[in-house]
Amino acid sequence: MNPALAGVALAVVIGAVVAASARNARTAIFGLVVTMVGAPLLADPAAAPIGLAARLVGAVLAGYLLWIAARGHNVRTAGSRVGWPTEVFLAAAAAAVGYGSHGLGAPAGGPVLAAAAGFALAALAVMPVVTGHDILRVGLGLGLLLGGALLVRTSLAGTPDQLEQVLTAGLVATLGGAVAILAAAARADGPGGFEMSASTPHRSSHGSDAHPARPR
Amino acid sequence: MSLVVFVVVAFGFAGTAVALRGRARAVTSVGLVGLGAAVVAAAAIEPDQVVVVGDAGLATTDYLRLFLVLGSAVGLGLAVAGLAGGTRRDAPAMTLAILGAVALTIGLVDARVAVIVATAGGLFGVLVTLLPNGARAGATVGIRETRAVVVAGALSIAATAWFGRDLSELVAQPVVFGLAYLAFAVAVAMRFGAIPFHLWAARLTDVVPETSLPILTALAPASLAIVALAWVDASVAPLPVDLGPERAVVIAIAVASIVLAALAAFVQDDIEHVLGYSIVGDAGVIVLALAALDPEAWAPARTWILAFIVARAAFAAWTAGIRAGFWTGRVADLRGWALRSPLLAAAFILVAVASVGLPGLAAFDARTSLVDLALDPPLAPVVLLATLAPIAYYGRLMAIGLRRPDRALEPVDAWRPHVVAPDVTAFRRWVFNTWDLNRAFSTATIAALLGLLALATSAGAFGVGEAAAGPPPVVPASDESAASIASRDLPPLGSEAP
Repeated sequence: MNPALAGVALAVVIGAVVAASARNARTAIFGLVVTMVGAPLLADPAAAPIGLAARLVGAVLAGYLLWIAARGHNVRTAGSRVGWPTEVFLAAAAAAVGYGSHGLGAPAGGPVLAAAAGFALAALAVMPVVTGHDILRVGLGLGLLLGGALLVRTSLAGTPDQLEQVLTAGLVATLGGAVAILAAAARADGPGGFEMSASTPHRSSHGSDAHPARPR
Repeated sequence: MSLVVFVVVAFGFAGTAVALRGRARAVTSVGLVGLGAAVVAAAAIEPDQVVVVGDAGLATTDYLRLFLVLGSAVGLGLAVAGLAGGTRRDAPAMTLAILGAVALTIGLVDARVAVIVATAGGLFGVLVTLLPNGARAGATVGIRETRAVVVAGALSIAATAWFGRDLSELVAQPVVFGLAYLAFAVAVAMRFGAIPFHLWAARLTDVVPETSLPILTALAPASLAIVALAWVDASVAPLPVDLGPERAVVIAIAVASIVLAALAAFVQDDIEHVLGYSIVGDAGVIVLALAALDPEAWAPARTWILAFIVARAAFAAWTAGIRAGFWTGRVADLRGWALRSPLLAAAFILVAVASVGLPGLAAFDARTSLVDLALDPPLAPVVLLATLAPIAYYGRLMAIGLRRPDRALEPVDAWRPHVVAPDVTAFRRWVFNTWDLNRAFSTATIAALLGLLALATSAGAFGVGEAAAGPPPVVPASDESAASIASRDLPPLGSEAP
């Protein structure tokens, strides 16, 4: 096993645990950025420089947009309901499953550590994505889920080529931007922080902000 | 290459419009000019061009060109209808960004890459979920849409990666093939908001302008469905594996969507929800195509997708026309709408005929073929009958439209064009006043034009049949790698693991 890859895999999973469990919004975002920056490095052979650079830029851009949405003093997100030790055990168990089932039934084209980290990220994403009532927390969970899927993809089909890396960078940045827009909009709408709305919007307002027509 | 020009035009104008979003009129102008440029750029796409990047790349086909021409045209029509009837300032930018992503998704030869772009394309829709009043409620709907898009993306990324490698030394049980197939089919169903994944799509109709709804829930997911169809034909259909249980699940999703969505559309109180569920119901036919696992389904499925997009867009324009003309979307308040606006009535009839179809129309025959290929008797005729269920909600809307209005409504001539004498001393004001007076007429006209386009597409005009029957995009140099996932690499079933 390549010790450098093992270190990267460990950093990716630790970042994911932080993203899934921290209650301070910017701490959680930092954890996600660590995960997104480390994920493209978990490949053997290493990704081509242009593709790798694009992935790093995409990850940092996504993190920066989320960082902006969480500006302010001690901005909170929901965090883990079960606590970080439980998240650590969950990640470890999922990583063991990913390590043991590397290739999912056929010879794999990528490193086993990518499979282990990918499974860990996907497992950590389940709680925030399924039960999250906080827009930022759901968004962080979606970032973890996407990161997990991309790592599993690398472990199965090998290192993505440059075109795929560039387009993946675009996807990561777009997800970061989309979650940041939604989180910032929720935060700007009165007290409640990133909490989701319990009510359904009233359709009759029509919500036109482009060219409001005068009702007759 | 011509496809790259289209992508640059679409993303360039989308980015410019977003950058200018503080100025509503500038955003509108840039968005409309961009959509017009997109129509021209799409028409200028030359089939059979290839751009090789690494082992993969982009390739153009007749179908890609037709898809983008029709997609850009309905995008432009819906943007103008939204302009007249009320929309969000980000709607044209969102449409352009989705068109750019759709172009890349359909043009990419490698399904593993295409699903990544398709997922990114779905995320652009959050721009129009933000309500000017009630941002938290809009953001809540937006994050639920994002969740559906990303979960579907994760499923499709995993499925295409599992198949996208050398499987000659397979040690897996055949069930793994079925799970990968099921994952991709469920991903497509989730993106369309098919039942039982429809809750996010139902809420989306509460916040998204009706003219943006078909872009989000029909056009963008359709590109993923096209990738899925090509992937299923190349990777799954040739497999000597029994996929019975997985097919049964996909068929159940498709039939539930076709039947229950039509029922839901029939009982809805407002026309935006009727529109939303009509999209879900027609998308059920596309999900059914994924269950056919037969190369014969390739052409009918792609024909139906084109007819589906244009017909749903026309129905959305009709919905916007009703809003602009009658200032309500409540079905119960629309008594006499057809009598009071013959132009909208004509548009509605065109939409209904294009959607439900008649024997001999390309879309009708395509839908019949898909049902026959996916299902065996006695289920096939029953489901075929169920695909005609939209007659019920179209009939209900038309019956209400033909009733005598239950109250005096003014003005009764809103649907007609209104021209006032030009004022040369205040020409700009005259233009805006004329535009204001003709909002209802403009949306009704666009609805009628899109209805005509829908009927033509449904009838197989523009070479729909030939384009749909054409092959998926291929980069000649990478033929081997693109097709290496076919069954020829697989060991015989039942062989022991090496």
